[in-house]
Amino acid sequence: MTEKFTILAVDDTPENLDVVKGILGSDYIVKAATSGPMALKIAEKQPPDLILLDIMMPDMDGYEVCRRLKENELTKDVPVIFLTAMDQTTDEAQGFELGAADYMTKPVNPPILKARVATHLALKSSMDQIRKHKDRMQQELNVGRDIQMSMLPVDFPPYPDRKEFSIHALLKPAREVGGDFYDFFFVSDDEICLVLGDVSGKGVPAALFMAVTKTMIKTQAADDSSPASIVTRVNEELSADNPACMFVTLFVAIVNVRSGELRFTNAGHNPPYILRHDGKLDCLDQRHGPIIGAVEGVAYREDQIEIGEKDTLLLFTDGVTEAMDTSNQLYSEARLEEFLKKSDNTPEQLTVAVLDAVEQFATGAEQADDITILAFRIEQATEKVRVDELHLVAATNLTEIERINTEFTTFAEEHGFAAGIAQKVCIVFDDLLNNIISYGFSDDEEHQINIDVSVTSEQLVVTVADDGMPFNPFDRVGPDTSLSLEERDIGGLGVLLVTELMDQCSYQRRRDRNVVTLVMNLA
Amino acid sequence: MEISVTESGDVRILSFQGNLDTNTSPQAESEINGLIEAGSQKLLINFEKLDYISSAGLRILLATAKKLKASQGDLKICCLNETVQEVFDISGFATILSVSKTEEDALGAF
Repeated sequence: MTEKFTILAVDDTPENLDVVKGILGSDYIVKAATSGPMALKIAEKQPPDLILLDIMMPDMDGYEVCRRLKENELTKDVPVIFLTAMDQTTDEAQGFELGAADYMTKPVNPPILKARVATHLALKSSMDQIRKHKDRMQQELNVGRDIQMSMLPVDFPPYPDRKEFSIHALLKPAREVGGDFYDFFFVSDDEICLVLGDVSGKGVPAALFMAVTKTMIKTQAADDSSPASIVTRVNEELSADNPACMFVTLFVAIVNVRSGELRFTNAGHNPPYILRHDGKLDCLDQRHGPIIGAVEGVAYREDQIEIGEKDTLLLFTDGVTEAMDTSNQLYSEARLEEFLKKSDNTPEQLTVAVLDAVEQFATGAEQADDITILAFRIEQATEKVRVDELHLVAATNLTEIERINTEFTTFAEEHGFAAGIAQKVCIVFDDLLNNIISYGFSDDEEHQINIDVSVTSEQLVVTVADDGMPFNPFDRVGPDTSLSLEERDIGGLGVLLVTELMDQCSYQRRRDRNVVTLVMNLA
Repeated sequence: MEISVTESGDVRILSFQGNLDTNTSPQAESEINGLIEAGSQKLLINFEKLDYISSAGLRILLATAKKLKASQGDLKICCLNETVQEVFDISGFATILSVSKTEEDALGAF
């Protein structure tokens, strides 16, 4: 049994209230008020479902009561039916202007009063339903917004101790979530990955898709330093299981902050700009494949360019160029380019200035899409680092170790390394390769071990990669070197030597390969 | 890897030249075991001309030291270069094995 509706009848004549009670009392709970102030008090304390309101009352007339009801957040949605002896149409019009739902003249006709009341109560229930539904939708959009915003790095400057570059990003969400995102993180000591994307759709689904995409990119980038390869793998995963057919436009760049080498893949995203230090504006208009998530089996490509000191890379979403003014004109690439040509700012000033320019242009119009802007600038050109490299391939045969060490020793002599450095690296190769060749493979197939050496004036970096069984040599506890001769066992000594002789050791499983990276400081 | 063997009293002195690693350790091991089987109880390994030693080489030294100790014999080692000394320090072999700076010191320690 549903609860009875409550009706508040307001009239300064008690007899009139009795008449109303007599007509409606059997179907509804009828409360009575004999003055305007009293009606307002009752209505505010517990809003009724409908109010029957007399107009001609002393102290406060019905119009004023209605006006006050409509001003109050608690009572503004309660339908008001004016019930009055006045029958001039001007009065009726004034009642409707004040927000009344209906207008009836006294004396009341019982069936008509019943019918009108029933109609307005039904209308109010529907309105309440719609309002609830709308609230829920808004809540969902808010949840989506919260997810979206909580995924973004927002502390600037993010790397205060890095003087080689500066970076700033901002995202101004539209009223409804648009699904923009940005991200940046280091993938090696000197390489930073910059990501900007725009997910299709709105609300929670878009926010979740964005969260998944962003997480996937970061995960892939952890063991892959090629934007094309990262984007290709993310697309494979997202498009394989994407029943909602969502997609994302994506720009991924990896910048070497020392050399300024920038490799990038654009998957259906707005072409970014490079603001050169001399004021020249370059558009990175290369496209490397379709939007992400739509088509499986796409091999994305990448391009490489260089950015120098005080060159700024500007990434943005279409919320910038497609911002509309009140006459539905787009902000457009042309306006953005004109603006950029005139600006010479830090990344923070630039992102804020671009947003200001777009907002100024769109003043008065509602922001339809998220606006995201990311700027990255090389601050200090580091002189080109001389890098010498040695690439060796070993078969899975223990005698190969000797050849590798001979080749490395020759390389070391050519580069004038101290004898100790070459000896240590040879020990490291001997122990690492012995482990890999002896224990890494369970089949009798031929395998290759790749040994890559790169040398700068400061560091010697060695990577050893094999396609053997997953094995992290660095996750075991080393031997206890304090034991006596009788107690000592030989196990684990090789890894101990590797970790102690080198300055940094790390292991990554990259797809089907074990990759060990070793660093020796030379300076 | 070249190993030359000389004598000083009842001590056999093995001079290693090259590297003691995965590929050379089997040869060194059979050389050492040959001497022990022939009755040598006191062995001195001179590393003056040894370039480097990996854990495969350490394994031979540990096995030899254990074997000789068990039969009341003795193993001594001398003349480590900087890198080999570092490996001995890292592995703890500098304390569990008898290591001398010169061949004379080592011979005097038997």
